[in-house]
Amino acid sequence: MPLDLDNVSTVSGEASVSSSGNQTVPSKTKKKRNLPGMPDPDAEVIALSPKTLMATNRFVCEICNKGFQRDQNLQLHRRGHNLPWKLRQRSSKEVRKRVYVCPEPTCVHHDPSRALGDLTGIKKHFCRKHGEKKWKCEKCSKKYAVQSDWKAHSKICGTREYKCDCGTVFSRRDSFITHRAFCDALAEESARSQPQSQTTQTPSAVKANSDSDSKPVTGDDSSPMEVPPLPPPSPPPPPPIPQSNSAALSDSQMQNPELPENSPQIVEELQANNALNGSCSTSTNTTSNGVSVFASLFASSTTSENLQSQTPAFTDLIRAMGRPDHPVDIPGPSFSDPISLCLGSSMFATGGQERRQYAPPPQPAMSATALLQKAAQMGAAATNASLLRGLGIVSSSASTAPTQQDSLQWGQRQVEPDSASISPGLGLGLPCDSGSGLKELMLGAPSLFGPKQTTLDFLGLGMVAGGTPGGGLSALITSIGGSLDVTAGAASFGNGEFTGEDIGRNS
Amino acid sequence: MHHNYHHHTSTSHDNSSGSCHNEPSKDAKWSSKLLRECAIAISERDSTKIHQLLWMLNELASPYGDCDQKLASYFLQALFSKATGSGYRCYKTLSSVAEKNHSFDSARKLILKFQEVSPWTTFGHVASNGAILEALEGETKLHIIDISNTLCTQWPTLLEALATRSDETPHLKLTVVAVTTSLVGSVMKEVGQRMEKFARLMGVPFEFNMITGLNHLTKEGLGVQEDEAIAVNCVGGLRRLEVEERESVISMFKSLSPKVVTIVEEEADFCTSKDEDFVKCFEECLRFYTLYFEMLEESFPPTSNERLMLERECSRSMVRVLACNNSDEVEDGDYCERRERGTQWCERLKKEFSSVGFSDDVVDDVKALLKRYRSGWSLVVPQGNDHVLGIYLTWKDEPVIWASAWKP
Repeated sequence: MPLDLDNVSTVSGEASVSSSGNQTVPSKTKKKRNLPGMPDPDAEVIALSPKTLMATNRFVCEICNKGFQRDQNLQLHRRGHNLPWKLRQRSSKEVRKRVYVCPEPTCVHHDPSRALGDLTGIKKHFCRKHGEKKWKCEKCSKKYAVQSDWKAHSKICGTREYKCDCGTVFSRRDSFITHRAFCDALAEESARSQPQSQTTQTPSAVKANSDSDSKPVTGDDSSPMEVPPLPPPSPPPPPPIPQSNSAALSDSQMQNPELPENSPQIVEELQANNALNGSCSTSTNTTSNGVSVFASLFASSTTSENLQSQTPAFTDLIRAMGRPDHPVDIPGPSFSDPISLCLGSSMFATGGQERRQYAPPPQPAMSATALLQKAAQMGAAATNASLLRGLGIVSSSASTAPTQQDSLQWGQRQVEPDSASISPGLGLGLPCDSGSGLKELMLGAPSLFGPKQTTLDFLGLGMVAGGTPGGGLSALITSIGGSLDVTAGAASFGNGEFTGEDIGRNS
Repeated sequence: MHHNYHHHTSTSHDNSSGSCHNEPSKDAKWSSKLLRECAIAISERDSTKIHQLLWMLNELASPYGDCDQKLASYFLQALFSKATGSGYRCYKTLSSVAEKNHSFDSARKLILKFQEVSPWTTFGHVASNGAILEALEGETKLHIIDISNTLCTQWPTLLEALATRSDETPHLKLTVVAVTTSLVGSVMKEVGQRMEKFARLMGVPFEFNMITGLNHLTKEGLGVQEDEAIAVNCVGGLRRLEVEERESVISMFKSLSPKVVTIVEEEADFCTSKDEDFVKCFEECLRFYTLYFEMLEESFPPTSNERLMLERECSRSMVRVLACNNSDEVEDGDYCERRERGTQWCERLKKEFSSVGFSDDVVDDVKALLKRYRSGWSLVVPQGNDHVLGIYLTWKDEPVIWASAWKP
């Protein structure tokens, strides 16, 4: 998937842009507009009451009842009615710049030092952040406080897609959010309570971004000025301390839909996978299918990974070993450092053990063929046919019943070891099944796969991809890693599934 | 949309397919016919006929065939267990297999995929979340007690909504009472960690607790504090209670002084006729699962493994409902499968609570949700009928899910 590799690099580039909010690294792409709320210290600070602020159109034309926010605008309008009008002449001395504070005392923009530069801006801010959301999208029920936001949203509602870091595309916001919470990509994001580095988007940067009042909730809102169409940005770090900064996730994640060129492709991949399910289940041409599946796995898991995610992911891994709640400030190891990978692989043992908990259960006590036999005996002469049929079904159950990953796993078993040369991913996946071959795997195979294999949750595929300069190589490694992971996962319940199937069928 | 809710009791698949016994007809519902005959034979203890029909069903059934074959296959298992008195053993086996086979990954994949293609669970989530958010508006210390079978997939959108609340983000304590074998132990631990991470990301102060076992729930056990605003949320949770315990658990809910109680259940009655009339109970079971299987068939692509897994999950409750006796000893981890209809739950709940109607906003949210799925789904809001409270999700005009909100 060269396209996705391209993305990875773009994304890495983007990381520095986002951290420009923290003013650490100069941006190398588009200049981000100034952060709101950093006014000229000499500016005149205007504090309007909520009522005044919200009083739209205070200046009403007596002819047509049209209202205006500013007297000057009314005066201009009156000219159209041929009414007497008076425009204030610009005084000769330079007009002092005005800034406006938010009337809400608890708001950050209540502080004159964070005042906003124009009246419309503060008005929209007040509306969005502290006002009632009375504009509701008919299509998705999303509510807006500012009519223009609502209008802009209505135009694009339903046309966007939400894309998770893992590559999955969603047309629905709620499914996206739910997926997000459960997606393994999130695990990488939550370990950001580490020393801020130059390449890491810091919580404060995120906060600044999300506080830019571009929207109350998510990038779903249309604020093209404020959310420039970026490639999928790096996942933002969460605030280290629980704090009302909700826009952090949504802001950056929701930008993802701005990348339409990616989405159809992924969708196609997914569809292809679905189709593969069918053919995999016949377990004849598993190898070739497997490769494509890996390709798509690779595609989906690398789309928006980047260098950044690595360090936090590692931290998170460590953290996950201890108490998940306890933030550990471990300086992330550098990516090129193999030690970090070795550490990762030592986690692997633990992971493997945990996997074993879900290891295939022993054959349940109930005889798998009991019902079938009994039922068959009821039929006069059909015993043999029935049994054969039963067997046929059982074997087909093995190939159809499991999930896609299972199919691979199962396919591999039938394909015989010699296929390993064709499909290294499958071959490597095999030992995971027993959980015993892991060590050998670690020794034999480049340690790069190690962490990936067990720690899907903590070390993204993109870590490998991002850390490896050669796209092709990373693709290979990643795909192998992906397949390993898949088979490991399959081993966790795949066999049991078959067992269950036998019972389901026969009892 | 607001037409009156009609109570459906009879099966809608009574097409008298004249299909002879030897030849499976492709378009007729041969499965219901054969299965029904078999159920009748069992209730009449006509062993020759039982044998004949079980044999025939076994020949025709397949969990990998069309809807007919699938229904035949799973109901055959239940009927066979009933006929041989091995229901409880079969149930235990199925339970333990399911328990051992469930991993976080498989459960997650299954439930998320299901939610992508069908509003079966998301309907209740949107309705309940709407009611909960409205009832807890302005509260700063929330405690949601969740007795559901949906793996906490309800909560991310609620967390997101809390995080974007215009007033201060409240503290949320989520106490999950595990009600299915798939929610035990490590799976739920993983879910809890995800929830914690997600809450952190959303900036919602959050605490996650898990309790196993539905029996012996107490205020203390649930960790309810005086200063908390309580919401009790049961999505597919109440039916897991033994029928005899339902009343006492509902009154226990009341003792928590919750701001709101949200109940979502599948619309079927496996309760009324369970002992007296096996055939009637079977008919209702067949009606419900026929709907469910057809829904799955139209929602998922033909080769979907998720669909197979969901279908397989039904087999356990079929065996539990149809083939297990009351005399069977109930152990920990045996969950009841006896669904009741919305009207029946209303009767129970009305003793302790009064109904809270869903607001227009929530109803709009649900409608918007349904628009995004395939056609066939709609929302029915019963009007002017005190006996029917709450709202219904219908699939092809048959009510399938009932959602309601209550306050003390």
